[in-house]
Amino acid sequence: MSGVHNEELTSLKHQTVSTFLTPLRPVRDGTPIIGIDVSSVRIGETDNGVIYAVRGTIVRKKEQRYRYVRLGPFPFHITEENKGEILIHLGQRFSRAMSLGTLTLVEAQSHLCNLVERWTQMSIAFSESDSVILWDGSLTAGTPGNTVSAVSQILQVAERNSNSILAFSKATTVRFFGLRITDLIAKNEPPCLFELDGLPLSISKTVHLLGRICVTKLTAGGCSFRLDIDRNLPREQGVEAVERLLGNESLFQGYPESLRLAHIYSTFTANDIIGIRRYLAQEYGLEIVRRLNMHRTLFGPYGTGFED
Amino acid sequence: MRLFKKAGNTVQILSFPGEETEKGGYLIIEDKKAEKAMIAQVVDIQFANVPGIMEELLRSPAAEDSVLGEDIDPLNVVSHILYIQDARLLICKIYGTIVNGDLVLENSWLPSRTYSTIRKLLTESLLKLAGIGKGLPIELGLTQESSRFTIDARELDGKLNIITGKKGTGKSHLSKLLVTGLIQHGATVVVLDLNGEYTNLGLTAEGAQNEFHKRVHILSPSRNFKVALYQTDLYVIMRILTYALNLPGTSAREFKHIWRFLEEKGMLTLHELGEAIKRWQCNQHVKDAMFSRYYAMVHSNFFTDNMADAVDFETLLRKTESNGGGAIILDLSDTSPGDRQIVVECVLAKIQATLSQWKIKAVFLFAEEAHLYLRETYWDDIVTRMRHLGVFATFITNQPNTINENIYRQADNIFLLNFVNEHDLEIVSRAARVDAETTISVVRDLPPHYCLVLGKVVKDFPIVVRVKPLNVMAMGQTRHFFAETMSR
Repeated sequence: MSGVHNEELTSLKHQTVSTFLTPLRPVRDGTPIIGIDVSSVRIGETDNGVIYAVRGTIVRKKEQRYRYVRLGPFPFHITEENKGEILIHLGQRFSRAMSLGTLTLVEAQSHLCNLVERWTQMSIAFSESDSVILWDGSLTAGTPGNTVSAVSQILQVAERNSNSILAFSKATTVRFFGLRITDLIAKNEPPCLFELDGLPLSISKTVHLLGRICVTKLTAGGCSFRLDIDRNLPREQGVEAVERLLGNESLFQGYPESLRLAHIYSTFTANDIIGIRRYLAQEYGLEIVRRLNMHRTLFGPYGTGFED
Repeated sequence: MRLFKKAGNTVQILSFPGEETEKGGYLIIEDKKAEKAMIAQVVDIQFANVPGIMEELLRSPAAEDSVLGEDIDPLNVVSHILYIQDARLLICKIYGTIVNGDLVLENSWLPSRTYSTIRKLLTESLLKLAGIGKGLPIELGLTQESSRFTIDARELDGKLNIITGKKGTGKSHLSKLLVTGLIQHGATVVVLDLNGEYTNLGLTAEGAQNEFHKRVHILSPSRNFKVALYQTDLYVIMRILTYALNLPGTSAREFKHIWRFLEEKGMLTLHELGEAIKRWQCNQHVKDAMFSRYYAMVHSNFFTDNMADAVDFETLLRKTESNGGGAIILDLSDTSPGDRQIVVECVLAKIQATLSQWKIKAVFLFAEEAHLYLRETYWDDIVTRMRHLGVFATFITNQPNTINENIYRQADNIFLLNFVNEHDLEIVSRAARVDAETTISVVRDLPPHYCLVLGKVVKDFPIVVRVKPLNVMAMGQTRHFFAETMSR
C-alpha cells in the first residue's frame, strides 16, 4: 500500500517539476551585475562587553571587469548598557516580540550584521539603476534585524530604479513533499528555473516571504540554488532578470562570481582580527580579556559547546 | 620589538614596520626586573607567521588582476591590518649578557617577555663594551652603522687566520689592509703572492710612492731573487729535493754524501754539484734520479753561482725586522708550478731556520691559494710546529675546500666575504669559532667588500664590516677582453 503511495508521490513531483520548470536563455545585453555581502566576526571580550566587527563588500561586474568596494571593517563594542543605543542608531526597531531587554550580546552580532547589510543593500538599490542586484540569502523578513518594512522599502527603491533583486541561498531547509527543494531539479537539463510559488512548502508561519521562491540550476555540472525573486516584479520580468544574469555574469559551480567575490572580500581572516585588536588597543586602550572556557575546563576534549 | 621564543642559544624576536634591523646587527634585550641584558645578533630576518596571511594574500588583488577595488575605511583599521602583515621574525643568536655593566658569557637565563625592552645595540657600543680594537689598531673599515671599525694587531700575533670568499669579493684587498696594518706596527710580513697582486703595495693608486714604499721588498724568483748553494743549508736543499722534487730515499742519502763532500772541499756551487754527481760512484738509477733533480734545480734559474745575483734571505728578514717592519713579497706570478714549489720550500725552510735560531722574533706569513704550492704535510706543520717557532699564517682562498679541515678547526680568526655556494658555506661553517647558522645566513647575503669578521679579533662577536678602500695601486683585477670595446 505504502509502495503504491510512494510511486504516486514521485510521479506527482515529476509532473509538478515539468509543469513549473522554465528553461532559460542567456541574455547578453551588458546589464551590470552587482553582488552584495556583509560579514561579521567576534573580535573578543572586554571587561564589560563584547567587540564585534562588520565589513561589507559590493562587487560590480560591468564590461567584463569586476570592481569591488569594501566598507569597513567597523568595530563595535557592545555592552549591556549601549546595545540598544547602537542598534537603534543603526535603524533597528524593536517590537513587543523582540524587546531590547531580552536581546543577548550574541544575538546583537547578527542584528549588527543584518543592519549593516540592509543599509548597504539600500544604498545600492538607491544609487544603481538597470542592474541585477544579487543578495546573499533569501528575501524573507520578520527575522531579527530584518523587519518587513525595512526589506520592503529596499525592494521598492530598487524597483523604482529599474533594478532587479535576486537573492541566492547557498543552503536551504525548505522542503516540498519532504524533499529538499534544491534536489528537485538535480536531473534536469540546465539552465533552468523551477518556480515553487503557490506550492505547499515547509516554511515557518512567522516568516514573511517578500520574494517568489524558485530553484535554479545555471550551469551543467554546477549546483542548484534556492533563488528568491522580488515578488513585486512581474513574473516575466523576474525570469528575464535571471536570463540577464546568465548572459552577463561568470558562474562558478553555478554560483554568480560577483556574489562569490563579495563573500571572499568581506570575510574576516585571522590576520584581520589581530589588526583590529591592535587598532582597538592603540586608539581606545581596549584590551581583549581571556575568559576561562567553562566547557573546556569541565569537559576537556568533550567541551565543544558554544562559549559566550 | 617583542621577545617571542628562546631555544638554546637562539632567540626569536617579533619586529614591526619601522623597527629596521639588518642581518648581522646586534640587539640588546634588557630585563629591568632581572637587572640583566642579553646581547643577540640578528642572523636571519623572516616574515612572522601571522595567522590567516595566506587567505589575505590570495584575495588581495594583484596589479594585473581583472578585479580592481577600493577600501572605504574611515577608521583607518586597514593600516593596522597591513602593519600586522608586515611583521617580521628576527632569528638571533645570543652572544652574552650584561650584568652590572660587565659583559659575561652567559646565555642560559630567560628574559621576561612582558618586561623586557628590545632595542638595537650599535656595533660601536658593542666594540666598546667588549673592548674590541683596543691596543694596536688596524682599521678595517666601517660597521653597518658607518662607525669606524678597528681590530687589535695583537690578536693576529701568534694566531692562525683565514680570509675566504668567492671571486671578486675583495679578499686580496682585505689581506693587503692587514699586511699594511701589520707593517705599520713594525711586523715582518712575508707574502706568497701567486698572481703578483701585492707587487704595487708600495705605490698609491696614482702610481706614486706611498708610505710603505721603502718597507716593501718585491722578490721575483729567477729574476731578482736567486740563492747560492753555499748560503743554503743541507736540510733546506734536502727539503726541496724530497718534498718539491720527490727524490727517493736512497738517492737522497747519496745526495747528502755528495753535498758533504763538496762542503768539506769548499766547492759548493751549482757547477761543481753537477760534476760531482757525474763522477760519483753509485748505482746508475740513483745517479739518474739525482741528475734529473739537479737539472730541475738548474732550469728553475732560482739557484746561482754568481754571488752578486744571490739574495741572502736570512739577512733580508733580519734587516726588515730591525728597520721597524716591512713586507717581503714573493711574486710567484711568472713561476711555473714545479719551480713554485722549489721556491716556497726554500723560503719556508729559511724562515724556519732563521726563527729557530732566534735571529728574528716572528714572521706573519700571508699565503694566497696555498694549495697550489704547499705540500700536504705542511698544513699540520703550520698549525703546530711552525706556529710555535713564530710563523703566524694567514690563508687567502676562494676555494674553501682547498684548505685542510684542521686549519679551519684551529683558526683563531676568520674573515668571511660573500659565498653563495652551499658546499662552500658548509665547509666554512665547520670552523670551531663559527656558529654554522650565523655563517650560512649572514655570509650568503654579504655584498662585495663586506666581510664577516669572526674569532679573537672581535672577541668572538661576529661583526659585519664594510672594508675600507686602500690607497694602493690595484693589481688583482681580472683582465677583460671586451673592456676596451665597452669603454668606447
